[in-house]
Amino acid sequence: MKKIKIIQYINNSNVSRFRTIIQIAFFLLFVYGGYFFINAGQNLPTFACPYNPGSPGTCYLISAQHNLHATWDQLFSFRGLGFVTGLGSFVLFFIIFNKAWCGYACPLGTIQDWITRLRKLTLIRFTRYDEISFKRLSKVKYVFLALLILIPLGMSNSFFGLPEISHDMGAPFCQICPGRTVLPLFSGDTSQLFIDFTTTTTIVMSSLGILFMALFFVGSFFKKRFFCFFCPMSALQYLFSKIGILRLVKDGSKCTKCGNCSRVCDVGITAIADDITSKNIVKDDCMMCFKCVEACPEKGALDVKFFNLKVFSSTEEGFFKRYGQDDSLTSNKKKDD
Amino acid sequence: MINATDQDRYNRLKKTSTIHYNMEVKQVLAEIIDDFPDKISGMEYFYNKFKPLETDESLYPKDKKLIASMCIHVPIEIIHALDATAVRICSGAYSADTAGSDFLPAKICPMVKSTLGALYLDMLPGNAIPDLVINPTTCDQKKKMGEMGDDINKEFYTLEVPPSKDSEEARQYWQRTVKKLVKKLEKVTGNRLTRRKLKKSIKSIAQAQAEFRRFMRIRKEAPVIFGKDALLITNTYFFDNIDSWRENLAILNNELEERIEKEITVAKSRAPRILLTGSPSIFPNMRTPILLEKLGGIVVYEEFCSSSRMLNDTVAVDEWFLYDMVPAVADRYLKPSTCPNFTPNDDRIRKILLAMKDYKVDGVVYQTLTGCQLYDMEARKIGKALENEGYPVLNVELDYNPKDSGQLTTRLEAFLESIKDQKRKN
Repeated sequence: MKKIKIIQYINNSNVSRFRTIIQIAFFLLFVYGGYFFINAGQNLPTFACPYNPGSPGTCYLISAQHNLHATWDQLFSFRGLGFVTGLGSFVLFFIIFNKAWCGYACPLGTIQDWITRLRKLTLIRFTRYDEISFKRLSKVKYVFLALLILIPLGMSNSFFGLPEISHDMGAPFCQICPGRTVLPLFSGDTSQLFIDFTTTTTIVMSSLGILFMALFFVGSFFKKRFFCFFCPMSALQYLFSKIGILRLVKDGSKCTKCGNCSRVCDVGITAIADDITSKNIVKDDCMMCFKCVEACPEKGALDVKFFNLKVFSSTEEGFFKRYGQDDSLTSNKKKDD
Repeated sequence: MINATDQDRYNRLKKTSTIHYNMEVKQVLAEIIDDFPDKISGMEYFYNKFKPLETDESLYPKDKKLIASMCIHVPIEIIHALDATAVRICSGAYSADTAGSDFLPAKICPMVKSTLGALYLDMLPGNAIPDLVINPTTCDQKKKMGEMGDDINKEFYTLEVPPSKDSEEARQYWQRTVKKLVKKLEKVTGNRLTRRKLKKSIKSIAQAQAEFRRFMRIRKEAPVIFGKDALLITNTYFFDNIDSWRENLAILNNELEERIEKEITVAKSRAPRILLTGSPSIFPNMRTPILLEKLGGIVVYEEFCSSSRMLNDTVAVDEWFLYDMVPAVADRYLKPSTCPNFTPNDDRIRKILLAMKDYKVDGVVYQTLTGCQLYDMEARKIGKALENEGYPVLNVELDYNPKDSGQLTTRLEAFLESIKDQKRKN
């Protein structure tokens, strides 16, 4: 009986509010943890940026770019081992929370959610991509991922007899990543905001870095989770999402395709409503915030599972608690009164 | 109504139709109430809503505009938010059918004819006099009926429903349609849609829906209420004040829950459990459920646009501002709809199959109104899907004329008997 009560309590709860708190906690950890001598390692599946003096660890993308900056011979010797163990520990970290790393832990994601809150205060509406743009733009992150693997390889190796790429391209994604420019700001470090006039390559790359930072702020103001759509970390994570321990599972037979889930989805995934055959419903852009589960009124249509344990499920009661009552799930409550 | 003879003819038609209507209503109500021994006191409120009116006065607030709607695609939330009264006027009255035949061909659906007739003769629920009639372009017959506005002296507004619902194009088109409707309604009512009011109206309808879902959970649990009563409840939602509808349904739900505890059921546990689908049963056209239940069956789920399809699906809003609320309301009326005017409509099959399991249904009665092409054409596909799963299906066709019940009775009886046989064997 007590167990049922607890399950009911969780399913009736407001996960978005819980998420806001977790996000703040993770933000403090990944942006200021270093000041408290926390060391979370070199292979974090989220943007803990070492350019930020307060960072407690290193984002795996930088380790990967570093590890891959090696000749073929090196890669297939002991140095390759470094790459393999790095990837291994990234995967181990990742599969525990699956893509919830994006929705709950990523400091860049959290900043974007804060910007969204800011936008709501201004009463400016959000934008969405139409179906075709969504499909096209969704591929960009894979291009970034491919480039951040190929460019470091191309710096030490010659592809098809072409000359090696300039070493100014070291850690190419970091050079354009808004994490490098934005996160240090929270430690009061503005040293990343510059254009490097050393060579043409550095001018181009550092200008792109500044441009992407500007796009990050402007884009996420008008479009929820703007940057996540292009994030190569998200692309890399998705490659291992199938073996994630935390899962989002859908029972298509219970789905009425009402679209509540896709309507509240911050990244605008429509498959969550329209796909009634897949069991595992985590798509590449999904950040596992579980707002969809909150918005689903059909019992057992969407379940969040950890191993095989249901940790949060869609229920009628929960839905009406959140959406039917006058005082709940309204972040703009005060303005209404 | 140009000259005196026309006016005279109209008056005579109205008078006779009203007399016939009152007779029809009394007779059907007597069948629903008196022919079943077990009375649920919570039903009293809903029965009373259908009793013939003593007055010619409108029962609705006079200071509010009255917006009449048809089908299930008119966003009621918006009408309420604009401080107008919403009344769904789809009619089940045979007595209004004849008047409608003056304007429409004989072979079309009696529901459309009856609705037009009732509009023409001002025989709407609660003596409603609509300031605007919203006519969604669902089936062809409803569509063309919307062109008769001038003939019957009523203003129609065509609400463009897309022919399909799954594509992004359809969704965009529909959202624009709804935005246009908001403009029109603002003009008719003279009020502006505000964020606060729309939010309140979304929530109040959500609360009514929550109560309805509770009602359906109760029906899932035990046979404590007949389908004919359930249909009257949802039918009341067409024209009732939503808050009092919800409160009275809550009272009924409490009573039903008590009955479950005391194990008082209206049907035997072996009674064939029937799912009713197809063209909607709208009061007083309640023949199929009444007959089924008189003959010992119990209707446990209605997949009708006068019932679950109208009330089940909900609105979810991400940002509670008009820019997100209006499209959210629009989505709710398009995406989960299983109206056969949409193609493809596989969602309807899935919904019925799920209900078969959830409500432990023994068999399906698929009802088609004579001339209703869309339901007729979907009958085969749905029948096949059900038979593949091993469920018996009976297709019946009926019109509003109550005289041809004989054959219907025989067929329903045989169907119920075969289910009982099957149950005995298992």
